[in-house]
Amino acid sequence: MPVYSLYMGCSVPANYPNYEAAMFKVAEALGMELNYLEDVACCGSPNLRSIDSFGWLLVNARTIAIAEKSGHDIVTPCNGCFGSLKDVLYHLKHHKDDLKKINVELEKMGLEFKGTINVRHIIEAMYTDIGIKEIKSKVTKPLDGVGIAIHYGCHLLRPVDVTEFKPEVLQEMVYATGATVIDYPLWKQCCGATVLPVNEQLAIRLARDKLKSMKESGAVFITVVCPACGNQLDLQQLGLKDSYGEVYDLPVLLYPQILALAMGMDEEDIGLSMNRVPADPILDHLSG
Amino acid sequence: MIIYPVEVILVVTGPVLVIGAGVAGMTAAVELADNDVKTILIDRKTTIGGNALELYKAFPTDDCFYCFEGNRWRPGIRKCFYRSAMIDQPNIDLKISTRVKGISGTPGTFLVNLEVGPQYVDPRKCTLCGLCTDASEAFHLVSPQCQPQAVSYNPERADDGAKKAEEDCPTGAINLSATQTEETITVSDIVIATGYHEMKPSTIDEYGYGKLPNVITQLELAQMLDPNGESSGALLRPSDGAQVKSVMMIQCVGSRDENYYPFCSKICCVFALKHASIISKERNNSRVSVVYMDIRTYDRHERYYRETRDAGVEFVRGRVSRVEAHKDGTLDVYVYDSLLNKYLKFVVDLLVLSSALEPPEASNELISSLGLNSASGYVGSADPLSENEVVAGDHVYACGGALGPAEVPESVNQARAVVSKILQGRK
Amino acid sequence: MTETEEKTGPPVTLIDPIDMTKLDANFRRDISSMPNGEELSACFACSTCTAACPIANQWNYKPHQLIRMILLGMRDEVLSSKEIWECLTCFQCQERCPQNVRVTDIFFDCKNLAAEEGYVPENIIALAKSLVEKGQLYEIINDWEREDLGLEPEVPGLSIEGIQSILKGTRTHKLVEGDE
Ligand SMILES: Cc1cc2nc3c(=O)[nH]c(=O)nc-3n(C[C@H](O)[C@H](O)[C@H](O)COP(=O)(O)OP(=O)(O)OC[C@H]3O[C@@H](n4cnc5c(N)ncnc54)[C@H](O)[C@@H]3O)c2cc1C
Ligand code: SF4
Ligand code: SF4
Ligand code: SF4
Ligand code: SF4
Repeated sequence: MPVYSLYMGCSVPANYPNYEAAMFKVAEALGMELNYLEDVACCGSPNLRSIDSFGWLLVNARTIAIAEKSGHDIVTPCNGCFGSLKDVLYHLKHHKDDLKKINVELEKMGLEFKGTINVRHIIEAMYTDIGIKEIKSKVTKPLDGVGIAIHYGCHLLRPVDVTEFKPEVLQEMVYATGATVIDYPLWKQCCGATVLPVNEQLAIRLARDKLKSMKESGAVFITVVCPACGNQLDLQQLGLKDSYGEVYDLPVLLYPQILALAMGMDEEDIGLSMNRVPADPILDHLSG
Repeated sequence: MIIYPVEVILVVTGPVLVIGAGVAGMTAAVELADNDVKTILIDRKTTIGGNALELYKAFPTDDCFYCFEGNRWRPGIRKCFYRSAMIDQPNIDLKISTRVKGISGTPGTFLVNLEVGPQYVDPRKCTLCGLCTDASEAFHLVSPQCQPQAVSYNPERADDGAKKAEEDCPTGAINLSATQTEETITVSDIVIATGYHEMKPSTIDEYGYGKLPNVITQLELAQMLDPNGESSGALLRPSDGAQVKSVMMIQCVGSRDENYYPFCSKICCVFALKHASIISKERNNSRVSVVYMDIRTYDRHERYYRETRDAGVEFVRGRVSRVEAHKDGTLDVYVYDSLLNKYLKFVVDLLVLSSALEPPEASNELISSLGLNSASGYVGSADPLSENEVVAGDHVYACGGALGPAEVPESVNQARAVVSKILQGRK
Repeated sequence: MTETEEKTGPPVTLIDPIDMTKLDANFRRDISSMPNGEELSACFACSTCTAACPIANQWNYKPHQLIRMILLGMRDEVLSSKEIWECLTCFQCQERCPQNVRVTDIFFDCKNLAAEEGYVPENIIALAKSLVEKGQLYEIINDWEREDLGLEPEVPGLSIEGIQSILKGTRTHKLVEGDE
């Protein structure tokens, strides 16, 4: 059984416990052992990186160094955490000077960054280590080809030399549930979550363009693998209804929720009712 | 039109006339001569080599032009393209200080009337002792590697020293009363290799060329950078000899401009950046800015663009509003930056214009006397749509700058294409 | 320039250019010597980054212009711009740049320099404050939701101490303190 160090960050536990629960349920069914990393700090992304890049490097190097002790790769369900940790890993592997400085600081905490483990998104770990074949074999209630728009999230895809993530991974994972992936023109575009603190109007417009593009291309649901993206696309639909009277009615599901449903799990166990845009219509698309 | 029987074509063996002894003409002459074709190579100047003589380092190899990579294999030339072959190859009859006065006859048997000389210095006698150049400004050595190996005399600067030198020359090489002679030759083919001329942009008044001493052209800059030049390669302000700390280059001066030349001069972007690179790397890190509308460093030369950016050369997309000269010799240049939509004011020591490469004088006369096509004043291909761009007419060919702005490798390739065409016609 | 100032003297000349001698030539060097700045000078102003950017249309300075301004030395204009803070960090510009300029990463570096000089939007300071004081960006409000799903009530494994002690004495701390 593959074993992982699970880095939760603060956003999933605070805003999306349903994501956390669904992820555990699915991981268990797939035979993945997830152990919470203990005593690790918030990744600070991307705000900390903006104002204090050294602090940001150190906080995340510390997390990686702690995980190195157990020898297992870090997995995380949050694109923000993934982006930060992966970026720091990349940075320290490519900039020996900074690595030296960081290790001086880590030594004071009794730690050392060696670069012996990888940082991975939980979805990619499922895809690579368990495999589509195995995942498919666990699907008992496949979705009936319903069109799902994937929002990958910027920090999962880019910069690719850092993230090493290919969009096909998530596509195949969606197909494995029996659903269909909807192509839409703005698939690469940012959801706008990062700009919320400095320009809310801009954030709303980004979400709107994205939702519009999805809807017009025939999407019935949206799937995301990040709490920030999920929150933004879900929440702004309510706002858009209030401010412009525009109704998108696109339920936003965290990918493990969809997989859990297709595996025949109970909707209560994966907190489907916590999704803001009501997610229950998805149940109509389950066979069996 | 005369239709020759096949046998007659086989006997076309007359000599070939090559007009212009720049890299293109020299290549054609040497390679024809190596193939046992008698060649008459003429140039109106006293020294062969054409424009390339002035260039110091050359792209794409960044070598000195005197050691031309493509010809190092050649016995007799060894490392220097300009050495010996032109003089020693028995099949080449080199005539310097020579121009074409008129052409008559028919394709295959052209009668060409040449104006030769006056030949003030006999290159077979001159030993480059330096006596005359010390005695008078009228004599000067174009370059230590010049061919033929002889000094040049400029009658416009004649003085008493020149007279004395004529008397004292140890080998008796000088004849100041030499006169022009005429000569008519019969040739089977004519190769036009008359090259290009760099436009003097004095009519484009926003740049102040010709009025402000610190505004120069790229070819003038090349001469300044040449270690064999007056300042031994140091970059000095023409106005007062002060060290140049900042240089600005302006691209497309007179090119791509319907008021001057409609064509892109093709190589000015590359040589401007070659110069920018030399200046920023080898001349005390002088600051270089390049004002452009497009940078056209075609195919492999893109590397110059990348290297100069890496070396810190500043690129400004836009045009110059105006140039203002200060008493201290500096120039204020106001540039509109179209990418920022802002005006920028620079203070520079030297303003270098990438001026259009225009057809040489007398290009038009050659074109009309041979009934050729004109391409904005350059020799046009007989059939612009065919792949034989070097074929200008029946038994008339052109190569190098004569066909339009071209770099040396392209000029040389075209010269080889000419040679191949002529040899095919003689099989 | 305000109306009243205009009236006290003659207006500036019609073309009021940016004086290149007054710009900060070291700015370019500062940025290129930062870890992401290696390829900065390779920028040839093609504006691919701006074409790729989803929000540049709303900006006074477009991404390619910001990079240009860095190259020209317009330090104050770049560091005080709102654009660097509105950047979504979506990396679309960086992904497409044909010269491998790390555009987004360079904007991160700019934000760090801006922070050093005190140009940080208030709401970003508020987030920094939450990091310094609470050790996290997001706090659990409804812990019963977690319990319903069988999850532990606290953020699992989170060490508030861990980040707090690291940020003590760093720029983040200074920014937050200065704000108080
Ligand atoms: C500033 C500058 C920098 C350059 N740098 C490079 C470089 O780095 N690398 C590179 O590959 N290229 C470079 N070039 C281009 C290079 O100079 C040309 O490719 C090359 O000189 C062309 O050779 P050519 O023989 O065709 O013409 P030319 O060199 O122009 O030679 C023509 C010859 O014909 C003679 N002539 C002209 N008309 C007549 C006539 N009517 N009768 C008799 N003789 C005549 C002239 O006196 C001259 O000797 C540069 C050009 C410039 C302006
Ligand atoms: S004095 Fe005579 S031999 Fe000496 S350089 Fe002059 S021409 Fe040549
Ligand atoms: S080569 Fe460059 S400078 Fe010369 S005309 Fe063409 S675009 Fe202009
Ligand atoms: S895409 Fe790259 S090269 Fe092009 S303008 Fe932007 S930073 Fe410069
Ligand atoms: S990272 Fe910033 S500048 Fe680049 S495309 Fe995204 S929003 Fe625009």
